Amino acid sequence: MDKILCSIATRGRYYSTFPLVLSAIINQTKLPDKLVIFDDNDEPKDMRQELAYYYFFQMLELKGVKWEWVFAEKKGQHHIHQMANTSDCQWVWRVDDDAIPEPNVLENLYRIATKIDNVGAVGGSVLTPPLIFDTSKSTGKIADIDLEPNIQWNVIHNITEVEHLHCSFLYRAGVHDYNLGLSRVAHREETLFTYGLHQKGYKILVVPDAVTWHMKNPQGGIRSETRQEMYEHDEKIFRNIIGNSGNNIVVLNSGLGDHIVFNRILPEIPNPVVFTCYPEVVSGRSIAEATTLFGDLDQWNIYKKMAQWKWTGSLEAAYRKLYL
Amino acid sequence: MILIHPFAKPLIKGGINPKTPGVEYWKELIALIDEPIIQVGIEGEEQLVPEFFKNLPIPRLRELISECRTWIGIDSFFQHLAWDEGKPGIVLWSVSDPLIFGHPENINLLADRKNLASNQFLWWDFTPHNLDAFVKPEKVLEFL
Repeated sequence: MDKILCSIATRGRYYSTFPLVLSAIINQTKLPDKLVIFDDNDEPKDMRQELAYYYFFQMLELKGVKWEWVFAEKKGQHHIHQMANTSDCQWVWRVDDDAIPEPNVLENLYRIATKIDNVGAVGGSVLTPPLIFDTSKSTGKIADIDLEPNIQWNVIHNITEVEHLHCSFLYRAGVHDYNLGLSRVAHREETLFTYGLHQKGYKILVVPDAVTWHMKNPQGGIRSETRQEMYEHDEKIFRNIIGNSGNNIVVLNSGLGDHIVFNRILPEIPNPVVFTCYPEVVSGRSIAEATTLFGDLDQWNIYKKMAQWKWTGSLEAAYRKLYL
Repeated sequence: MILIHPFAKPLIKGGINPKTPGVEYWKELIALIDEPIIQVGIEGEEQLVPEFFKNLPIPRLRELISECRTWIGIDSFFQHLAWDEGKPGIVLWSVSDPLIFGHPENINLLADRKNLASNQFLWWDFTPHNLDAFVKPEKVLEFL
């Protein structure tokens, strides 16, 4: 049986929307196996002393949901989500600290995720009253992201395949990494993450009957940074990645022998754009350029990947898993 | 002619790489081999035989690999290059896992899997050097 981790990052909302989110999670018709709260507050508190939280934790224990409160490193929510992504659970339901799911959300997301083959992530409507956008022509394709309202910003009537998701969704863990090269505001982090799952060949779906109410709160929030240059930095990375949407990015930030082994699978990779340390072995552009374009290169670090996968097969097979 | 590639890259912090058996081991092995030997490597490595080719470009290394009868090396880029060139040889293993980093076309000599590093994917600076982790030179001769 697959395990589901519910992951929430919170900042500045101890006494506003966050307790509502916790209550909504406790009252799901399908409960997660574990809840992990990543506390990114500038002045974190021991919330077990607060009455409402005290009862929340007791309720979780009575319902058999393990819970953990982690004091995060204040690097941004992409770092937090990556910790959840590399946990020992097969699925992660990420919930924002100002987004309140209706009681059936996890049950319906999980039912679809496991009923349809090869699902990478599945999300429902994310509604911010009183706004309801006209999404009747929204495609959910990355190429249309500047041209249309997000398909999740209205009631969803049919299961629809898209290329990216927003805010809160259930995803298959350990398949694709969050881009840790983004700044602390982590602008577009969930779009990049779900689009990465799509690029790896997994289905990204929006589904009906899974409404989350997004009580957008100008106070607090994991993105409560105002420095414009952070957004510009992240936007540049986002544009560089989607600008390569028809290509397979290959980053060989590794040793000479690794390049030689990788060379065997290169002909099988469609439309490769290669960044290399040893152009005399595998021709391509420089690693420095890759860092500038994409921010973080860990998602292509074959040694980090093998460690993450607890790999016991051959190096060539590891490259196949990463790129094919 | 036999080609040897005796040394892996030195550790970042300095000192002998645990994937390398060391100079004395190689001298002992070379003394047992009754056949011309050439050595390839880089500047700064100890010269073990009269013919030592340093800092060769990849195409020249490929030529030497194709010219030799076989080769003896350790777990470094060279074993991958010779594999790519289609010339089987002998690889002396110690702490890295031949099932991950080796090629079945080669003779992969490992004394005991219990010596393998518990984490295969870190820098080798954190793994101590252990000469006993290598098979004895006389054992290597049986496969030459």
